[in-house]
Amino acid sequence: MFFKRSQPDAAKLQSDGTTPVAGHAPLPVAELRHTVDPASLGFVSTSELQPISGLIGQERALKAIQFGATMRANDFNIFVLGPPASGKSTAVKQYLTNKAREESPPADWVYVNNFEDPNRPRAIRLPTGRAKPLAKAIISVIDELRSTIPATFEGEDYQARRRSIEEEFRSGQEQAFEALNKRAMEQNIAIVRTPTGFVMAPTHEGKIVKPEVFSTLPEAMRKEVETRIEALQKELETILERMPKSDKVRRQRVSDLNTEVATVVVREALDDVAAMFAGEAEVQSYLEAAGHDLVRNVGLFLVQSGEESEIVKQPADTARDPRFRRYLVNVMVGNGDSPEEGAPLHEELNPTYGNVVGRVEHIAQMGALVTDFLLIKPGALHRANGGYLLVDARKLLLSPFAWEALKRTLKAREIRIEQPSEVSGLISTQSLDPEPIPLDIKVVLFGDRELYYLLAMHDPDFAGLFKVQADFDDSISRSAENHLAYAQIISSIIREHGLRHADAAAVARLIEEGSRLADDREKLSIQIGHLADVVREADYWAGTAGSAEITREAVVRAVEEHAQRSDRLRDRAQEAISREIVLVDTTGAKVGQINGLSVLQLGSFAFGRPSRITARARMGAGRVTDIEREVNLGGPLHSKGVMILWGYLAGFYAQDVPLALAATLVFEQSYGGVDGDSASSAELYALLSALSEVPINQSFAVTGSVNQSGEVQAIGGVNEKIEGFFDICRARGLTGGQGVLIPKSNVQHLMLREDVVAAARDGQFAIHAVEHINQGIEILTGVMAGDRGTDGNFPPGSVNRMVEEKLRAFAERARAFGARSGGGSGGNGDRTS
Amino acid sequence: MIAHVAEAGEGRGRVVLHLTQAATSPIAIQAAVRVAQAFQSEIESLFVEDATLLDIAALPFACEISLSGRHRREISPEVVARQMRAAAAAIGRQLSELARQAEVPVHVTVVRNDPVAALVEACATRGPWNVVALGEPLSTATAERLDEMLTLVTGTTGLIVVGPMAKRVGGRVVAVVEEIGHFDVVLRTARRLHGGDENSRLVLLLVSESEEEAQIMDDQARLAIGDDETVEIMRARIAPSEPAMAAELLRRLSAGFIVGRFGGLLIPRRGDLRSLCSVLECPMFLMR
Repeated sequence: MFFKRSQPDAAKLQSDGTTPVAGHAPLPVAELRHTVDPASLGFVSTSELQPISGLIGQERALKAIQFGATMRANDFNIFVLGPPASGKSTAVKQYLTNKAREESPPADWVYVNNFEDPNRPRAIRLPTGRAKPLAKAIISVIDELRSTIPATFEGEDYQARRRSIEEEFRSGQEQAFEALNKRAMEQNIAIVRTPTGFVMAPTHEGKIVKPEVFSTLPEAMRKEVETRIEALQKELETILERMPKSDKVRRQRVSDLNTEVATVVVREALDDVAAMFAGEAEVQSYLEAAGHDLVRNVGLFLVQSGEESEIVKQPADTARDPRFRRYLVNVMVGNGDSPEEGAPLHEELNPTYGNVVGRVEHIAQMGALVTDFLLIKPGALHRANGGYLLVDARKLLLSPFAWEALKRTLKAREIRIEQPSEVSGLISTQSLDPEPIPLDIKVVLFGDRELYYLLAMHDPDFAGLFKVQADFDDSISRSAENHLAYAQIISSIIREHGLRHADAAAVARLIEEGSRLADDREKLSIQIGHLADVVREADYWAGTAGSAEITREAVVRAVEEHAQRSDRLRDRAQEAISREIVLVDTTGAKVGQINGLSVLQLGSFAFGRPSRITARARMGAGRVTDIEREVNLGGPLHSKGVMILWGYLAGFYAQDVPLALAATLVFEQSYGGVDGDSASSAELYALLSALSEVPINQSFAVTGSVNQSGEVQAIGGVNEKIEGFFDICRARGLTGGQGVLIPKSNVQHLMLREDVVAAARDGQFAIHAVEHINQGIEILTGVMAGDRGTDGNFPPGSVNRMVEEKLRAFAERARAFGARSGGGSGGNGDRTS
Repeated sequence: MIAHVAEAGEGRGRVVLHLTQAATSPIAIQAAVRVAQAFQSEIESLFVEDATLLDIAALPFACEISLSGRHRREISPEVVARQMRAAAAAIGRQLSELARQAEVPVHVTVVRNDPVAALVEACATRGPWNVVALGEPLSTATAERLDEMLTLVTGTTGLIVVGPMAKRVGGRVVAVVEEIGHFDVVLRTARRLHGGDENSRLVLLLVSESEEEAQIMDDQARLAIGDDETVEIMRARIAPSEPAMAAELLRRLSAGFIVGRFGGLLIPRRGDLRSLCSVLECPMFLMR
């Protein structure tokens, strides 16, 4: 057996045939809450403490981050997993900030126009801090050319040469025409212009010969005139036909002149930039291409943009002049602004596809979307290239295309900007295909454990790319050292938010609250976010109380006020019980009825609520019916707990007889789902009561799961459950006999409210820790459970004896029933549900 | 006329826009509108259907060679007449639109006559205060006829001409003065064209053969102008036989309109106007 009990004494049998048992001692008050002695902390106020980052007791995670950050491989990225608001992000950022500062800033990157293929902008790598100077230098070049090119082309030298060419060709044409005109006049022929061409006609004494006169001329003369005109017309045709060809030559000569003049001006302007970037082959190549293009398009500098001010004679800003966009430099990454600048550390708070990979923006022009290389916008990967990128995994996964894009980029080790519509193949529109930029980055994802394991299970790429798992614990052990560290975190929070300092008693109370949050009196929750909330609220209440420091009372007030703001549903649930709308007995004794305990979690607030559990038993085919499951209100864990009951009954009472039992179990007035096995011990107690017909003391509530051997096992939410029943009892009036049965293994989790502890100290409420069902049934019924004796029987008057007898009776009746109906043994079925 | 209007302060005058079947410069039309607007005068669009051309079209062998020289076709008086009507209508629409925007009244007249004779007649009918704007750009051949035209067309005080390189009518007005006696009338005309535009200056270009002459004109001009800051005085010395120098001088001024007298150093009465034709980018108002 699991604990010592007095042997049954027949003389002690009561009138109802049961054997009473001596009372079990409740847990001592010291076990109910692990308090902290303020004096043990070693300080009076947090003002004496040095603040720390919040990364305490996380050596494993820290080592993982150190390893991941140092391991320069594209697939050793880090996934930081842990509970939200645990300070992991702050701690990781702090560590990586220090590390990044010691590293060299990476190279700069720019996009420039590809003059050969404008749809494929060129990416140019530059030494750190050289991107912005290049962009400025190019603007200076354009500014200079905007002055020098018009001046050169307006200058006397160019104009004279240009005029010479024009005049040469024009006079050539005119001379030819004039010569023809002269020859025609010598032959008394006039050349006359019409709206669409030229006509010729005979003249006499400088006047056109009228048609009626011409018709009177002799035939031979008329023929001769016509012949002369025909010849002259052919000459005219030849001259006119030659004009386009000669104009082409003229244009070519003018173009050659323009190129010659522009080349000199452009080369002079670009020489300074070329010298500035002498060692950069890619820049030199770009300048060469830009120079050719500038010469080819020198006309851009000779037309007014329409934006130039007539008053101040100041040209419009080059960077905004659409004529010169093609020559500008798009700085994607410009580092080295500060001498202390190290490797970049970028946190992307809104990791959409465009914000991560970068995007190509468009401008609406005349109803069409157009773009160019200057509309390429960098993403987080560009900004963090050569350093560290921090991203919240959940946000990343919720952004369409972003996760896939990040993986693709990490695998390819280059940043390739593609429109999401192109990736998905949905829309085909004109866009850019910028040259990819090589990627050297360490990505740090933050997420919870569930997300990590989901990704590991369902995404085959994940494990290959995020090989470093930095697992942050939810809590740390309580020790004097960690108490002090916790106090230092509180001090950091106070300094960060500019709050009042806290005295030692307040810190002690906050440490206790940390334990309560951890649901474990031996642990401290490291949900720094929640702790910070409590400290800030306590600061508020300290202020309203006129206190110069945060006191214990202020902390208590903050905790209570927080609970009060969230506990409307708890109040409603307790009111329903107090008004007996929901039936829960807290006094008296009843057969087959027990108070179970459940926990409701509503956001950040959880509370316990008692529920009446009833059991009925009769002869049957070995079936324990879980009514919750039958109506699909029971979850699988609850059903598992009920099946374990059947195993316990069969193994404990019916080893040599069939279990001819039909029992039903139900959570009364439960209209929502029930899951978890924390009520399985309560259900077993109710079933044993129903079988033994020994009433259960309704002053108790029970929680704990049970195994097939009858051992009571730990459950969650033990504090809330106890407090839930305590609140009901207190509302109805504490009798001194009320209490809660919890698994012994849950004693280490007890961090009960001070009012519960006070009631226990006053003997008004009791917490009993039980290890085995027999122990619990004795507390609940006041009747001895009974161990099987050497004769194989339980002692008379014990609960177990009565249960066994009832089961044997059921088996006998079932056999008799089977014999009468000719159906065989009938009640030996081993089925359960 | 317009010089007179400017002098006499009269409100109205008339611009006769002379159009023929030859190509018309859009800048010439704009120039006519600008002058009419500046002097609050009206425009008479005189499209002359050349009667001689119709006679030629009636010849039995008459055929037209296209401007490119690649096509030849037979013509008739009807075809030529239709072409001329179409050309007149096209120019008329263009002029009407510009005049409407400038709120300048326009009268369109189409006559069938010899081009110069038609102009003489039109100016004589409502003279003498007319100015003639030539629609056809100046060429070497037409430039040679300017003197003849001013001689025959007595009812005009000046001509507005454009070159084949003409590209603007807006911008600074340059008043070219070669004799101090013409100073007042030229400047008044230029001021009307300038219209007190604050964004551009009025340039008074004093042209002379000698420095001494230039200095005298400069003194006189400054006396007359007083503290008018809108007028900028410039001086230039030009030799009588250097038309290219004069042409280059005008080009470098990047004028929007030039006002000057016909028959001086800048535009000699019988000089070679080829240089001017090749550089003139704005209209020129040549006063008699």
